[in-house]
Amino acid sequence: METMLSVKNLGKAFKDKQIIKDISFDVRKGEIMAILGPNGAGKSTTIRNIMGIMYPDAGTIDFQNSNGKDIPRNKIGYLPEERGLYKNVNVMDILLYLAELKDYPLDKAKERALSYLKKFDLEGKDKVSVEELSKGMGQKVQFIASVIHEPELLILDEPFSGLDPVSQELFKQEIRSLAEKGTAILLSSHQMNLVEEMADRLFMIHRGQKVIYGTMDDVKTQYANFKCTIHGKNAYDDLIRILGVQRVEQEDDKSILYLASDIHPASWLKQLPEQLAIQELTIDRISLHEIFIDIATDKNLLQEAGELHA
Amino acid sequence: MRNTMKVAKWEIKRNMKNKTFLIGLFLTPILILAFGFIGSLFGGSDDAEPSATTVYVHDQTGIYPALEETINQSDLNWEMEQTDIDEADVESILEASENTAFLFINDQAIETGVVPVYTSDEIDQFFINQVQVLTTPLQALKIEQFGLTEEETASLLQGITFEEITMEDAAASEEDAEEAEAGLGADPMERMVPGIFAGIIMFSVIMTGMATFQSASQEKKDKIAEIILSSLTPSDLMQGKIVGYFVLGIIQVVVFFVVLLPFAVWKLDIPIIEYLLVPETLLLVFIAILSYLMFASIFVGIGATMSDISTAGNFQGFVMMLPFAPLVIMGPVLSDPSGIVAQVGTYIPFTAPGVLVMRLSTLEQWPWIEIIISLIVIMASVWIFMKLAGKIFKVGILMYGKNATPGEILKWLRA
Repeated sequence: METMLSVKNLGKAFKDKQIIKDISFDVRKGEIMAILGPNGAGKSTTIRNIMGIMYPDAGTIDFQNSNGKDIPRNKIGYLPEERGLYKNVNVMDILLYLAELKDYPLDKAKERALSYLKKFDLEGKDKVSVEELSKGMGQKVQFIASVIHEPELLILDEPFSGLDPVSQELFKQEIRSLAEKGTAILLSSHQMNLVEEMADRLFMIHRGQKVIYGTMDDVKTQYANFKCTIHGKNAYDDLIRILGVQRVEQEDDKSILYLASDIHPASWLKQLPEQLAIQELTIDRISLHEIFIDIATDKNLLQEAGELHA
Repeated sequence: MRNTMKVAKWEIKRNMKNKTFLIGLFLTPILILAFGFIGSLFGGSDDAEPSATTVYVHDQTGIYPALEETINQSDLNWEMEQTDIDEADVESILEASENTAFLFINDQAIETGVVPVYTSDEIDQFFINQVQVLTTPLQALKIEQFGLTEEETASLLQGITFEEITMEDAAASEEDAEEAEAGLGADPMERMVPGIFAGIIMFSVIMTGMATFQSASQEKKDKIAEIILSSLTPSDLMQGKIVGYFVLGIIQVVVFFVVLLPFAVWKLDIPIIEYLLVPETLLLVFIAILSYLMFASIFVGIGATMSDISTAGNFQGFVMMLPFAPLVIMGPVLSDPSGIVAQVGTYIPFTAPGVLVMRLSTLEQWPWIEIIISLIVIMASVWIFMKLAGKIFKVGILMYGKNATPGEILKWLRA
């Protein structure tokens, strides 16, 4: 797959504080690449550096089909995290203005705007003043603005924040279909469940540095160990002694056993002690959400400490 | 440049569709007109010409026709008549009348050189000065009695005056002699009209220049700056705003003149159009445009440092007052357009455009050296302020929901 955007060793500091350090990743044509990380991890800073809104202290940003250091603004669609629209103008005017800024033909832009408004349940709102729109409607209009000029690279900073589930679904479908049509998409989010469903590859960032980078499947196999949830009254010591168990979390009658990465679920199940009280047992991979929380709350360290204890 | 024009076009379109702007556009000249009209209604009686002074002349020397001619040539508002009334009867007549005077010209008066004048209690306060114009024909009569020729009489009457000529003037005066002669009777309005025109342009564009401030801080408040800046550079956006609001200012000026000019031409007895279509107007308008560029870039920069005018700090408030600096020294400048205040004001960037327009409207001779230095000062400041505003704008516009402190602004300027 063609690489549309390539970021190498990006670094940025404000005063003495290093915000991001040594960030490197690619975004390829037709894929959805997700930047994940807790609040303040450096996601928006990375994106703003890509967009040329901030200037990086270190590293390079290369766009495909762009010679020299100019950002091919007309081929990029951007939905910033801090977003708004001019208040006292009507929806169509602002969409056309933003399309014009991208040098996109106006008649085509108008056509696309109308069809998108229809798709997003905003039919007939083209003549309505922006200040009359609800927050969610405004966000839909901003999304339309970022894709109206058929960008080759679409950068979405927290596109789902503040949306209701129905609108989230609408956005997800649209983002997916754009990727299928060949648009390279870079999106940032802290909503893991959404990202898990749609991203092809992900880059997890914490405190401005890379934590995980790879395809969704690789990340899951590499980082997401199995966990076994048992409903039934069992003693902590009985559980932690089982082979391959790294960590146990207990809450009332529910115990969650975090297993080591080299565990094969079928053979592990066979060697469970017979005296265990089991009303219900599930075994599944740790979700991205859990990995994320793990990393964000520095539980890895806690786990190591726990191991030492044991 | 193309992006600048796109932004400019958008700003114009956005405002021309905005009801507040449209109402303001037409309301301002209409208000001025309305106040002018109401003013003339109330002032109507005061404006009427004061009643003429009636001057009765008891002439025993036959000089009356010469006197009448002198009065006609002067602009005095006199009604002069001959009379036979004696000095003895005058008192009773004057008691019953207003604005009336009696002159008694006889041989004795010519000989002694003292003409008795009786006036009513109510009389033009300048009457005794006005009556001095009659000195010349009376003196002429007196000299004639010595039997001198007309030329001798004229020479005698001319008297002696002292004229001060410095070295500078000596050179200039030769060239200007003709011009000065022509200009002697020239209407001061001839210079004033282009000045007032430039003043109105300056006022309008500075007012819309202040709107660039609004526009920049609105951009911050609406949090759209980042979306816009994904399509163009901060300097494109800033320049677009400056150009756009300039055009809006010019639209305001055009509306102003379309509404006001017909009334001005009708009401005022000045050939406004002829006075306006002179090369001087171009220079004055050029100064007005420079002044716009300077203040608009200052405002757009300051606007980018805050999200709301109501949260403006002292520093920002102070900057907003800068365009009004020339008004502060308006009095001294107008009363002495070549004085020290005027000259100093010509070289201070913030006051230079205003003071220059005021001086050029009142001065008969334009001080070209000063004008050129002043223009250089203004143009250099425009360039510097645009650069500085660009730096502030670039950082400030993305700082959502927070006002910049003077310290921060200083830091951005150094960056």
